[in-house]
Amino acid sequence: MADDHQPKYGNVPKSNQWGTRVLPGKHGLRLGDLNVGVYGEIPDRWDDQTRNPRGAIAKKGVPPVGYAIRDKADLWADCAADLYEEAIQRKFAPATDIPWETVRPLPTVLERAVCQVLTELCQYANCDVETVSQWQHQMAYGYHEVKQYLATATFDATRMHEAFRKRALCNGGGLGLEGPGEVNRMILESRGGWSEAVTYLLLMRGSFMQVMLRYLERYAHNDAERVMYQFALEAKARHLTYGFDHLRYSIAHDDDRRQVMQMLFFIGDRIWAREQADHVLREALSIIFAGGLENAETEGLAIYNRMMRDFMNEYVGVCDWLGVKRDLASMPSRMTQYLNG
Amino acid sequence: MAKFPSSEWFASVAAVFNSDERYQGAGGGQCFCRFGVKSGAQIAVVTMDGRTCAGAELVDESGLADVDFYLDMAPEEWTAMLKDIAANGHATLDQTLNTLDLNRDDGLSRSMHGDQYREDLFFRYNQSLQFLFDASARVATEF
Repeated sequence: MADDHQPKYGNVPKSNQWGTRVLPGKHGLRLGDLNVGVYGEIPDRWDDQTRNPRGAIAKKGVPPVGYAIRDKADLWADCAADLYEEAIQRKFAPATDIPWETVRPLPTVLERAVCQVLTELCQYANCDVETVSQWQHQMAYGYHEVKQYLATATFDATRMHEAFRKRALCNGGGLGLEGPGEVNRMILESRGGWSEAVTYLLLMRGSFMQVMLRYLERYAHNDAERVMYQFALEAKARHLTYGFDHLRYSIAHDDDRRQVMQMLFFIGDRIWAREQADHVLREALSIIFAGGLENAETEGLAIYNRMMRDFMNEYVGVCDWLGVKRDLASMPSRMTQYLNG
Repeated sequence: MAKFPSSEWFASVAAVFNSDERYQGAGGGQCFCRFGVKSGAQIAVVTMDGRTCAGAELVDESGLADVDFYLDMAPEEWTAMLKDIAANGHATLDQTLNTLDLNRDDGLSRSMHGDQYREDLFFRYNQSLQFLFDASARVATEF
């Protein structure tokens, strides 16, 4: 049967703002460039419960999707669009961009230590993926810059997992012991909102992971490890930038946020300290930093302690920068001991 | 032969960096920041503009207030780093920006403003910055 429907769409475009003509700049047509006119109006609350793209005409009667995160203060970071562009532009492919051919056999004890650390780093990366994923779909589409950036953060984490696993399995060793996972559980099971998850995932764990990656790059055994950790470091730095920028925005726009974070730290620090009691990661890192077992207890442990000092300085320093002052006397000694060292 | 850290030296390094696609690949790429290079009393401010290094200008101490971060080492430490790069084609592990930063109690990368967001550009663009200095391996340098 012939379709006798006659298209009538051609003459009068339906749009909130027709005639928009964003031109590419010197560095291309970037996501943030599109924030012009109605398309750049980013309200403090996004009440639309559908997938309606920001700036489009909303349709009546669309069943709500049920986004839980609709307040800008609960997810926004001004840098999100730029980070998205940066992430997709500065990507890497572990299969071909890491010079795997430079990996050489290591003494067994050293290889075992490397593999143990990578096992735990794989868990960290998994935790990144699962945490971001379980919040991302709850974020309203009005804040698409954040959703898009977080999609790249998930992909960054999967590439880290891929690279760490490949290094563990390419040199005669293999994966080691599963880490205690108490902090992972704390991050994954934080239910108070995305900002709470960001506090644990990025400010606490993320800062620790970044410092650890820096030391692992410093004590890499070959170009493959060096390049792998450098890639991971850049990606992790983007994650932290989003996290810190979001928390700063959230604190500025939510009166309770600062006090909530104080309480989160009080809880989180104690779980963190409990996980620190596990000696496996500490010993493996000490062996790597000492270049073997012989000086692990002296030279290696001293470098480990310096790494922890750097982490604590970073962690407390960022809290200060955010205006969330930390009372060191109320923090577990297992954390503050490094500040005193 | 250009003298480190003159504008001419950075122009020569930028010419190598901007024309070698290997520096734009994995780990490299678009990079937007202004950072200082402080070698004793001599200070240069380098502009990274997307895929290129746009060069550097010499400034006085007050010019550092305006940069995202600055890298501060004694002249002999810069010389050691650049000689290591020249000898190996790239920085070896003891002379990478990351290692040099870790090895200093005050860090290699600093700022006058204390803005965490801008300071973190050192880590976000670390590989591009390393590539830029690695490019100096192909520039005759006078110290």
